[in-house]
Amino acid sequence: MKRYLLKLYIAGMTPAARRALENLETLSRDLANAGMELDVEVVDILERPQLAEDERILATPVVVRKLPPPIRRVVGDLSERERLLVGLDIQER
Amino acid sequence: MNPPASSHAGTGIQGLDFVLQGGLPVGRPSLVRGGPGTGKTVIALTFLCQGIREGENGVLVTFDEAPEALIHHAQGFGFPAEEYRQEGRLRILDMRPDQDEVVGGGLELTAVLARIDHALEGAGARRLVLDAVDGLEGAFGGQGSLRRELGRLFDWIRDREITSLITTGEIEDFNTRFGLEDYVADCVIALQQDMTHRAMTRLLRVVKRRGGPHAGGEFPFLLDEQGIFMVPVSGAVLNARISDQRIASGIPDLDRMLGGHGPYQGSTVLLSGQAGTGKTSIAATFAQTACSRGEKVLFISFEESVDELVRNQRSIGTDLPHHAGEAGGRRLVMEPVRAMEMGLEEHLMRIMRALDRHRPDMVVLDPVSSLASRHVGDGAKEMLLRLMYLIKERGITAVTTELLADDSQGVSQLDVSSMIDVWIKLRRHEDNGELNRLIQVVKARGLPISNQVKEFRLCDQGLVIQEPYIGEGGITYGTAREARQAEDEQRQEQLEEELTRRRRLRQEMDAIHEARERLTRAEDDARAVEVDREIAELERRLANIQRARATVSRSRT
Repeated sequence: MKRYLLKLYIAGMTPAARRALENLETLSRDLANAGMELDVEVVDILERPQLAEDERILATPVVVRKLPPPIRRVVGDLSERERLLVGLDIQER
Repeated sequence: MNPPASSHAGTGIQGLDFVLQGGLPVGRPSLVRGGPGTGKTVIALTFLCQGIREGENGVLVTFDEAPEALIHHAQGFGFPAEEYRQEGRLRILDMRPDQDEVVGGGLELTAVLARIDHALEGAGARRLVLDAVDGLEGAFGGQGSLRRELGRLFDWIRDREITSLITTGEIEDFNTRFGLEDYVADCVIALQQDMTHRAMTRLLRVVKRRGGPHAGGEFPFLLDEQGIFMVPVSGAVLNARISDQRIASGIPDLDRMLGGHGPYQGSTVLLSGQAGTGKTSIAATFAQTACSRGEKVLFISFEESVDELVRNQRSIGTDLPHHAGEAGGRRLVMEPVRAMEMGLEEHLMRIMRALDRHRPDMVVLDPVSSLASRHVGDGAKEMLLRLMYLIKERGITAVTTELLADDSQGVSQLDVSSMIDVWIKLRRHEDNGELNRLIQVVKARGLPISNQVKEFRLCDQGLVIQEPYIGEGGITYGTAREARQAEDEQRQEQLEEELTRRRRLRQEMDAIHEARERLTRAEDDARAVEVDREIAELERRLANIQRARATVSRSRT
């Protein structure tokens, strides 16, 4: 079973952050049905600005595919499913 | 005149602080804009590092160049940037945008704010630089929300009340769209570079300075790996070191024309003249004399090679190699610089570096006009003024020559007279198939000068100045002068005889006049007596008539 670890960086729970999180949760459910596991960890950089520094984050929300490599980043509210999958390089069989 | 120190943050660039009359506004955002390679980043880095040097920690946010490259630049300008970073006095935030995939909208730049805020707090910073902030648009330009987010970023910086410098490329639209120039920045500096006559000229202009004065106009500046060099013309002399010491030129007659002791030490001497008028020879004499006094001289020759210079000057008894060599204490450094080979900026840079390397008491620039003549623009002239200012500021005596075109009517093309303390004009005088050289002191600040045009000769003993012959028909020079002199002597005798005769006549005229006056006065006196008598007679007769009438009327009643 294929597993993905994603980190979603947000700067406070803004509307765009909420949309991005909802889109990822929906994706996670859909992928689970297709036999893939998608773990999403949410990091609020307002609480941990050093993490934003380490990740060199400019724009939020941004989702980073941590595992498996290679690392991929997608910025925005992630409202377009097809482009999100291409950006994260996840094949929805 | 000087604003309170607390309201200005020095930029570390002397000339720029002068233009801004102190520096950038403290606690406010300023903007530097200019195309690629105009020096925005150099100004920003210098501003930041100068602050750190003075104890104001700084945060550098880069949207374009790698942090390592920026540290390398700053070290080139003489700032130990890597040390600053290790000591925590300098923080660099790498905000070069990745080529991230953007999916959907709702982009926010809160992370940028949060990171900057975090770094400012962590470093206790008082200065902030955002370098090439328009790079953000390059990365996220397609996003509708970017406009709002950038506006929010700039507003935040303004509200943060930190002395900050934002640099952007010369995209007018970017600055206006986000109100950077109108609303966000209190101070806007525009940089520009012009390529004229294959030479690079960089110009700086203060477009806006809210609540503070600034010097208007465009200011050329130099830029190389060692940083920005900029010296404003105005007010230049105020800071220059002033000396009361006079220095002999090596031509006693010329010193006499300059009030007896030659020009002041540290003054700027310009020798203007057409080809073949002896400019270089006089300059070389200045140089040799200075070396003999124990001064160090840097002779920069733009047209002659060292060998040519040495040979040509030896013919009039000036021994340059002696002073350049061991026996002469190596006091003379001759640097040939081919004017054609490089751009003006590079040129001046080389001269300035040479000044730093040799630290001379006197510098000869021969001819300085070769720097400006090829570059018609005002930039070249201003650049030249700046060079002269720099030399003067360091208290170095400058002996410069200017080659005048034959059709120039002796008019200087340099327009640097404001910078010149002693201006000597040399002229050719061609008459009777003979060429004579004339010398005239046009101006000499603070010196009582001879206002006469004198003749000079270049002989193997050096330079000899002669009094011109002043006679009938004006001033004459050369052998024509001797012929004219003999001619005049003969005529002089005749004239003297004539003069004696006329003087005698004049005396006689006076005597005649006096006699005539005495006669007239006597006649007038006699006439007055006669008239007086007639008046008395008439009065007497009238009185008689009245008395007779009175008698008659009394007898009728």
